[in-house]
Amino acid sequence: MFFLHNLERRVTLHPSYFGRNMHELVTTKLVKDVEGTCAGDYYIIAIMDTFDVSEGRILPGSGLAEFTVGYRAVVWRPFKGEVIDAITQTVNPHGFFAQAGPLRLFVSSHLMPDEIQYDASATPAQFTNNADIVIEQGTHVRVKIIGLRTEVGEMWAIGSINGDFLGCLQG
Amino acid sequence: MTKTVRLGSRLRYPITVVKLLKSPGDRIKKTEPLLEYSFKWMREVGDKIRGDTWLEEQTTLVTWDSPVDGEVARWLLREGERVTSDRPVIEVREDCSHDIQFQGLCAMCGQDMTRVTWAAETRDTARAPISMVHDHTNLTVSATQAQRTEQELQRRLLRSRKLSLVVDLDQTIIQACIDPTVGEWQRDPTNPNHDAVKDVQSFQLDDGPGDLARRCTYYIKMRPGLPGFLKRISAMYEMHVYTMGTRAYAQHVARVVDPDKKLFGTRVISRDENGNIFAKSLQRLFPVSTHMVAIIDDRSDVWPRNRPNLLKVSPYEFFKGIGDINSSFLPKRQDLLSSAANGAAAKQEEEKKKKKISVAAAVAPTAEALAAAGDDPALTKKQEEEQERQFEKQIHDRPLQALQEQLDREDEEAEKATILSDDSSESRSSSPPSQRHRVLQDDDEELVFLEQHLATLHREFYAQYDAARGSAEVNFDAIPDAGEILDDLKSTVLAGKKIVLSGVLPRGIDIYTSEIGLQILSFGARLLPKVSRHTTHLVVNAAQPGREKLLAARRRPHIKIVSQEWLAACFSRWEAVDEGPYLFTARLVGEEENPQPVVSDDDDDGGGDENEATRSPSGKRPVLKLIGANGQVAELPADEEDPSEGEGEDDDDDDDDDDIDPGVLPDGSFSIESLKNLNWESVDQELAEFLADVSSDSEEDDGDDDDGDDDDDDEDEDDARDAGDGEEPSESETARRRSRSKTPSLAAAAQAPLKRKRNGGPSRGEGDDDNTDESDRDDVAAADGKDAPDRGGNNEDDDDEDDRAEGTPAKRLRRTTSQRGPSSLRSQYLAGAEEPDKGGGTNGLPTPGGSDQTEGQPSGKDEEMADEQEDVGDAAEEDEDEDEEFDLAELEAEFEAELDKDFAAASAAAAGEEGKARVVGEEVAEKG
Repeated sequence: MFFLHNLERRVTLHPSYFGRNMHELVTTKLVKDVEGTCAGDYYIIAIMDTFDVSEGRILPGSGLAEFTVGYRAVVWRPFKGEVIDAITQTVNPHGFFAQAGPLRLFVSSHLMPDEIQYDASATPAQFTNNADIVIEQGTHVRVKIIGLRTEVGEMWAIGSINGDFLGCLQG
Repeated sequence: MTKTVRLGSRLRYPITVVKLLKSPGDRIKKTEPLLEYSFKWMREVGDKIRGDTWLEEQTTLVTWDSPVDGEVARWLLREGERVTSDRPVIEVREDCSHDIQFQGLCAMCGQDMTRVTWAAETRDTARAPISMVHDHTNLTVSATQAQRTEQELQRRLLRSRKLSLVVDLDQTIIQACIDPTVGEWQRDPTNPNHDAVKDVQSFQLDDGPGDLARRCTYYIKMRPGLPGFLKRISAMYEMHVYTMGTRAYAQHVARVVDPDKKLFGTRVISRDENGNIFAKSLQRLFPVSTHMVAIIDDRSDVWPRNRPNLLKVSPYEFFKGIGDINSSFLPKRQDLLSSAANGAAAKQEEEKKKKKISVAAAVAPTAEALAAAGDDPALTKKQEEEQERQFEKQIHDRPLQALQEQLDREDEEAEKATILSDDSSESRSSSPPSQRHRVLQDDDEELVFLEQHLATLHREFYAQYDAARGSAEVNFDAIPDAGEILDDLKSTVLAGKKIVLSGVLPRGIDIYTSEIGLQILSFGARLLPKVSRHTTHLVVNAAQPGREKLLAARRRPHIKIVSQEWLAACFSRWEAVDEGPYLFTARLVGEEENPQPVVSDDDDDGGGDENEATRSPSGKRPVLKLIGANGQVAELPADEEDPSEGEGEDDDDDDDDDDIDPGVLPDGSFSIESLKNLNWESVDQELAEFLADVSSDSEEDDGDDDDGDDDDDDEDEDDARDAGDGEEPSESETARRRSRSKTPSLAAAAQAPLKRKRNGGPSRGEGDDDNTDESDRDDVAAADGKDAPDRGGNNEDDDDEDDRAEGTPAKRLRRTTSQRGPSSLRSQYLAGAEEPDKGGGTNGLPTPGGSDQTEGQPSGKDEEMADEQEDVGDAAEEDEDEDEEFDLAELEAEFEAELDKDFAAASAAAAGEEGKARVVGEEVAEKG
């Protein structure tokens, strides 16, 4: 789920950048540092704006200036039970990997409807019910997140396509 | 699915179950109390400050918490029961078996498996330890899931009547190269290599190690006939790519080889997913059963666990000298069977050797540590840097271009030569540059044979399976082991052949565990360390053949001397290839065509002892020529160190003799003059050091062993060892060392050089006096001219021997020193007159005799031996014959007289003249 989230971050600036457009530089650096990263259990997708750049304080010893920046960002936090769309990356006998934006999911064969079976002889290998559903590399799928785990800067999820309106997206 | 839960080892047994809190059918959650139990323990009570304490038994009531989620199936114990040790307590129907896990998440229930509670003794992540997916290491499965998946795979393969085939990329089906020269040749149609490289495909990687690899272009040459090969094989096998390259590299190559992804699909595993950068393992892909898997790879050392399943392919070397660009992680290969490559490698080896000696001890453990710590990221980084360096080198050095330029130069010279000889203007104009030779030859035909082998394996596998499966469509019990079938198929190929290697393996390597040795054995041949009458084939490396073995083999006409290419051909075709084109004839220069065959063929020692007949009249070892069937001639320089095979410890020991021979000065010369000035104490020290550190012996060989004249001695020693029971040789060795260490100190104690020699004598003669004296007498007698007693025809050789004796003093000294075997004895005896300097040194030296005499085979063939001259027969046998050949008493008397005379003369001349000194030395030995 996407949120507009107010966040705060300390940005340091090298003395060589000290000058008139310091605030601009601080914003640029913030965007560079933060956008697209995983901060705990959410991803920072985009920074909307910075609304509060504090006065810089020189850090003793290094001479870097530290600014505390308040900013507003679009963040995406996947929730357990949330249904998201993803693109299949690779298929193996135990299930398939899919990518939903920055999040990597695994959908195991146990979390698929019973009629969907692994077919290794197809090229490329696929999960299929031998009718309308074919999940192979590149297929768009709708999955429900049933498990999430985060580590510093990383996030993984377990998905399921065992449910109504889940699975292969037609068209 | 129920799981039996145990109480665990952390409880304070014995315990008494007080109450079961849950009954069958109840839902339980992790850490929820399941039962109450009590245990008794002693507690210290009272006033601790005053020391007034006593122990009191306490009973504590505790709950036991559930380590799993699920539903209680049944209890395995009753209330009130006393439990003395860990035992099963409850059966639980688990909600989820956590069989598949992805990055610490259970892929079946979504739970976090990394959560640790006090209740469970083991981590949940340990329930799915097997990584078996090609392209991810973080997806792990449990043993049951692995088995299920694999059975599914086997069922599918059996139904479609296929097998699995794991295919290596580099040098097996393709060769990659990053030399930009290839691209230039591709764009230049006039280049002689254009034809060869025109179907080379190229790509650039975006994730290579470092900037350099990112920018460079990879050129991929497919092995000739590859597309057809893969297409036909894919009907019989499901193919997997398993490479030591990076993932991106593997995928790019797979795209080159298989553009439609029909052959390999996504079944590509690279070193990124392998989890080990030193070895490949079938268990990584097939954790349960490898019965239906075959491997094709050009290296077998990377498959330590799956050798039976491997079909070793001869490495594809299209870009000459490039090798495998992804092998910088792997140890250097030892299994090349082409003389050119081997020769170069050997040379490098020689160059490195000196450095190696000093660091060998330090390096060996690190290498092992490297192998152990396969996943160490720091190490990986180092290896990547190493690879980057190699890449850089290849891009800058452009080895291919250099090779071509060299070829061009050679062509030019050849052309010039022809022009000069022809001296016609026509030939100049009619030699267009397009006639240039080219570096790249596209003439490999390995895949043809490989396809046959794979087809045979497939046929054999399904023949056995069909025979065993009965009526069932799929019968897992009937699956034969492809590895065993492969073994069976291979083991008949060279059955009955008994092969000896010469110059093929570097020194100091155990032939039976070496790569080539293992291969020879796997093809059903027997591998022998030495040439004997059983030997059928002598495989020589034409670049550096071993002298003794050749000499031994040429005396037994039934032994076929073949080049190692014969072996390679057998390996690649799986048949005993006709030796014709690979045959060598070993011939000594200036010698008649047919060497005298061995008369008595009952000797089993296999000693390739060289003897007098093989020596040319020049006195040096004659040049031994290897003449190939195709007219190729390889000469064996007379003074070259024999690059013999690793023959266990024998080699090392032999070298020891040579090395610590204190009479040999570094420059190979020897003189009694220098001995006078020698600081015996320092020598003593050196020896002591040396003896203390026997382990370093093997490292110090080769160094000054440049004369090669002691071969027969070595051989004799070997013979003696062969005859012994394995323990004695080492004893004699130590004895010899002991006597050696003793000698200089004894000598140092003496004041005058003469005295020293006198003292040196006894130590030398220890345990073997008779023989020592014998040899000394020989020398003396010979020194006095040719008036020595007739010894059954031996004197016929006098002239030759005298001539031969012109070698360096050190050589002759060695000969005298060793005084083992008839050839050395006789040479001393016969050639003595021309050897002015050897006596003193000889007597200062210990005798390495001892065991040789006692172990020599008793033989009653005196006359026969005498008739044979010295060109045939075995040293060990003749040892004793020699002693009996003449009248000892008579000789002794005669020598005694001579020696006295000489001794007097020598004393008078103050040992100034070397020849006299020697005689004096001999006399000393005599008297001692």
